Amino acid sequence: MTLETAYRLLYIGTLLVLAALIGIMLVRSIIGPRVTDRILAINMIGTMVIASIAVLSQYLMEGYLLDVGLIYAMISFVSVLILASVYIPAHPMRGPFGKEAFRENEMRTEPKTGKKGKARRKRR
Amino acid sequence: MKNGWQKFLDGEFDVMDFFPEPAEEPDLSREAVKEIRKEENRRIDEDPRTRKVVAFERRSFRIIYYFVAVVSCVVFIGVMLYGVSFLPRYGQENAWAAEVSRRYIEKGLEETGALNIVAGMILDYRAFDTLGESHVLFTALVLVMVLLRRDKKNQQSEVEDYYTIRNDAYFRTAGDLILSKTGTFLVPCILVYGLYVLLNGQLSPGGGFSGGAVMGAAMIIFAASSGFDRVDRFFSLKLSSWVTFAALGFYSFAKGYVFFTGANGIHNGIPKGTPGAILSGGLILPLDVAVGVVVACTMFGFYSLFRRGRIGGSGK
Amino acid sequence: MIGWIRFGLTAVFLIAGLVFFAGGAAGYIRFGYSLNRIHAGGLGDTAGLFFVLLALAFSAGELMDILKLGLLLLFMWSTSPTSSHFLSQIEYYTNTRLYDHVEREESKEDENGSC
Repeated sequence: MTLETAYRLLYIGTLLVLAALIGIMLVRSIIGPRVTDRILAINMIGTMVIASIAVLSQYLMEGYLLDVGLIYAMISFVSVLILASVYIPAHPMRGPFGKEAFRENEMRTEPKTGKKGKARRKRR
Repeated sequence: MKNGWQKFLDGEFDVMDFFPEPAEEPDLSREAVKEIRKEENRRIDEDPRTRKVVAFERRSFRIIYYFVAVVSCVVFIGVMLYGVSFLPRYGQENAWAAEVSRRYIEKGLEETGALNIVAGMILDYRAFDTLGESHVLFTALVLVMVLLRRDKKNQQSEVEDYYTIRNDAYFRTAGDLILSKTGTFLVPCILVYGLYVLLNGQLSPGGGFSGGAVMGAAMIIFAASSGFDRVDRFFSLKLSSWVTFAALGFYSFAKGYVFFTGANGIHNGIPKGTPGAILSGGLILPLDVAVGVVVACTMFGFYSLFRRGRIGGSGK
Repeated sequence: MIGWIRFGLTAVFLIAGLVFFAGGAAGYIRFGYSLNRIHAGGLGDTAGLFFVLLALAFSAGELMDILKLGLLLLFMWSTSPTSSHFLSQIEYYTNTRLYDHVEREESKEDENGSC
């Protein structure tokens, strides 16, 4: 049992286990009744894929594959963000994300007077 | 009166017979013609035989359409498969099918100066294809703008304007405290990382397209976390148009020399540098930057157009 | 000898990381409600990835690889809580029968009414 075969066995075993976990998660993502379950499945599968890309970069002794992993992490983050903006409507009665966040953390991005202020006043 | 055909056979052919006499009364106005057409259509619709004729036409069209579709697909697939059957099998060594790729692999480094053979191929050997691809991206952005853009000419009424504003506020994510603080920290990091991927096109996997995509995604995170008003301060329609125009123009002019030097075998004097340094590979680095900039503008332009129907400020 | 010590450390931390990933997946399958499953997701993102990347940092050859692994970890640790936050917001705002699964407390926010 040389060092090379030991490393190779370890890495391939890790990749196999991660692949099995990804397959298991797909089952639940099909069953799960809520939309949140499915987006969560995509997120977790993405994390496991990042782990397996990192293991692969060590297995093949190529250092640049970690860049791919970083891009994948960013893509999964952006996807959850944009899906959230599709599914969360902003209720003007209680603020977009909690009443306090709307009143106190005004970032001055939407001016109170102007088109949006007029729209808000028109609604009330 | 003889028939026209009879007159032709007998030789009594007169060309002026084909042109009718000019009408003495003027043509009917457009509204009158519309009225006459509407009356005719109404008469045809009320005829009881019309429905049967229409149904028969529809059924026969469907049958003929399915038949012709299936036959043409089968013929097309057959011809393509016959053409493909001449290629060598998968994985087999074949000298005449692999000579181009062998040339690229063996002489790629010394002819282009890039360690990444793929970047050397798409930006040096086949730079014309990449030029076409960049133009395709730009055309896609222009077409999406034609279809989705809302400006003073398109807006019909105040009600539509209200719904646009309401939907923009309805689906926003920008008011969140967690996201805004995370975005403040993340966006510069991702932007710099995208620039790193872009500039390393000739040394490691990356290049113009992926680097541009990462930069576009950084802009999307910025717009989602800090609101569109902050992005509008620096990313307007004018900036986007001028930057894409400059990038594509630079690409076209920079790679124009190959049409003169490549075919005639003249040696071009662009320095290749040492492989492994960042300033190597001839023109690969500037072309990477041009392509990346086009891709980033296109990606953020798509997001902005689908969200609000415009790029940049509204100018009202 | 040092090679075997490095291999040992790599193996131990890799197996620990796999245990956390498996725990996250098991939690995702077996928990009852989607708000609980988000906790299982966080397990994989934080502890699982940390141990796996730590293991790979022991067996890395160059300094650049270790720095890139650290950068990847930093990025994932910054963005994973935000993703969990958004997932719970989705669940809270779009589930009309939320209070079948969640206990409700008496608080002052109820006077605004639920939307």
